[in-house]
Amino acid sequence: MDIFNDLLGGFAAAMTWQNLLFAFLGCLLGTIIGVLPGIGPVAGVALLIPLTLNMDATGAIIMLCAIFYGTAYGGTITSVLLNTPGEAASAITTIDGYAMTKIGKAGAALTIAAVGSFVGGTIATIGLVAAAKPLGELGLLVGPPEFFALMVVGISLLVALAGKSMVKAVISGALGLLIAMVGIDPVAGAPRFTFGMDRLLDGVSFVAVIVGVFGLSELLSYRKDTATANVHAPNFRSLLPTGKEWRRSAPAMARGTGIGFGLGLIPGMTGSVSSLLAYGAEKKFSRHRNELGKGAIEGVAGPETANNSHANAALIPLFTLGIPASPTIAVLMGAFLQQGLTPGPTLFTENSEIAWAIIASLFIGNLLLLVLNVPLVGLWTSILRVPSSILTALILLFMVIGAYTINFSVFDVFVMIGFGLLGLALRHLDIPLAPMVLTLVLGPLMERSLRESLEISQGDFGIFVNRPISMVLIGLGLLILFSPLLKLRKPRALTEDPET
Amino acid sequence: MTERAPRVAPSVLVGIGSFAAVGTYTLIDSIGLGLWTSLGPGPGLFPFAMGVLLVAMSALWLIQELRSPSEAAAVVDRRLVIEVVVSLVILAAVMDLLGFQLSMFFFLLYHLKLRGRRSWVSSLIIAVAGSFGAFYAFNYGLNVALPVSAIPLLNTIGL
Repeated sequence: MDIFNDLLGGFAAAMTWQNLLFAFLGCLLGTIIGVLPGIGPVAGVALLIPLTLNMDATGAIIMLCAIFYGTAYGGTITSVLLNTPGEAASAITTIDGYAMTKIGKAGAALTIAAVGSFVGGTIATIGLVAAAKPLGELGLLVGPPEFFALMVVGISLLVALAGKSMVKAVISGALGLLIAMVGIDPVAGAPRFTFGMDRLLDGVSFVAVIVGVFGLSELLSYRKDTATANVHAPNFRSLLPTGKEWRRSAPAMARGTGIGFGLGLIPGMTGSVSSLLAYGAEKKFSRHRNELGKGAIEGVAGPETANNSHANAALIPLFTLGIPASPTIAVLMGAFLQQGLTPGPTLFTENSEIAWAIIASLFIGNLLLLVLNVPLVGLWTSILRVPSSILTALILLFMVIGAYTINFSVFDVFVMIGFGLLGLALRHLDIPLAPMVLTLVLGPLMERSLRESLEISQGDFGIFVNRPISMVLIGLGLLILFSPLLKLRKPRALTEDPET
Repeated sequence: MTERAPRVAPSVLVGIGSFAAVGTYTLIDSIGLGLWTSLGPGPGLFPFAMGVLLVAMSALWLIQELRSPSEAAAVVDRRLVIEVVVSLVILAAVMDLLGFQLSMFFFLLYHLKLRGRRSWVSSLIIAVAGSFGAFYAFNYGLNVALPVSAIPLLNTIGL
């Protein structure tokens, strides 16, 4: 049992007190970000990257991963108690979650959501363990042309799935690639688009761009329609679901796990799609489907399990192929790169210990969240009572610190402000932001593999269609991009996906 | 009511125009960078492709808008945008001079007391914690150095 030994080694590394502390802090911060409506997971993870710069790579990634899936837990709390989703992926939970709050069953809803999230997250992580070695070995056979083709597929999926208009999604993707190209060109060493500024030779700081586009612009587009909420934490006793509620939730959790896991593997699918489809599945298959909408526990268990299963499954393509499946994972990938780790097949050969420690920490983190979440629900609700003016000031404080500390330069604060305005304009024009983040991170890798491929073939573009794997992938990418011409309808759940 | 189709929103036209302009600029600039070298693809090739994409997509978008203009987007709270952006620009401009602690203290005070209308007590407590407190937490706790003032007098007293 090779994998088993690797995993045990991973647990040994993840169980040091520092790494446990980082996992704990990550879960805590992630839940807070999830609870706060003004700041989403993408900006949240990006904001906290600077905090981890001086940490060792394992601890840093453990903490950022914990933040990432912690947000999926946190988003539930406001959905259930306030009828406002903290994260887009929990939006559908509001229907039955809030209905349960109104009939005095908020505690049970929160507990079931946390247990479901734990189940979904843990099973998806087991999937990651099982898939890591075989997929990683397959990944090692991939040369530059295949790698390029794989990224084309990933990006075209996201472009095709994001928002309502593909034209706008392509614009977003192209902008991300252009921003990624600023600075010294990685192959020939020529400065590009630096406008004569020395500061831009190293490129535009990725963290500053993400914090601006996702964080600041979100804050700027905030409208004062939400008064400070009057929330009450459910008391401890009501947190325990009844035996009947457990029995009703189990099949919903099983369906949610399956849906989230399957969709999590596909680039371009966000957690929101998983939770929407899981809700749809409950409407179709649940024995209590006629109670849905009136406070049925299945309506909480299904989607909440699905979005956490999705979040953890989405790490599989990142770890094994180096392809981020969603904007948040793209930011996480940026953090890997900042730490000098390249996610993908080589991760398991070159940094095997770190990779397994991170995977082991996913199990620990999911358990921590289960333990943290339910008993601490009073603390989370008290965060919601903090007036929005104070939250705005504190979020701005963290954005400035985050942008500054990435290079210890005020220049990046200005970059953050500029991209905040750009993000606001893009939101205003209804241009999806997700493709931009993905291409921003993948841009340099994509360009390098394109140019390496063409150097191998001495300038012949035929290399992409002469090799079987890349031919299939390129064909798939083109098919996806031209799908609107073929009049292929995408499911409604995708057009209404609030995350893209 | 006229029966003519609704017009394309000005902000959308500005958007399309700017994307087309960025695309055109990229096209021209990347030709200068060199699309192809004797070794293979040059530094300009990839940006060139992006420029082509941007110009083409802007054109497509314009056609789509002319056929059926998109619905008006939600209105932005201009006051909020101006207040936040201007305060951030001022903060960034004086941070190296005054140091993180003083500049952030006034920045937070502005957002809490003037914009947020919190009480003096809570404004002051949060502003002190977020500026002086954060400085010490980051410098000594996380080993992340935030800027100190460039003015010698302030610098010597630790600001």
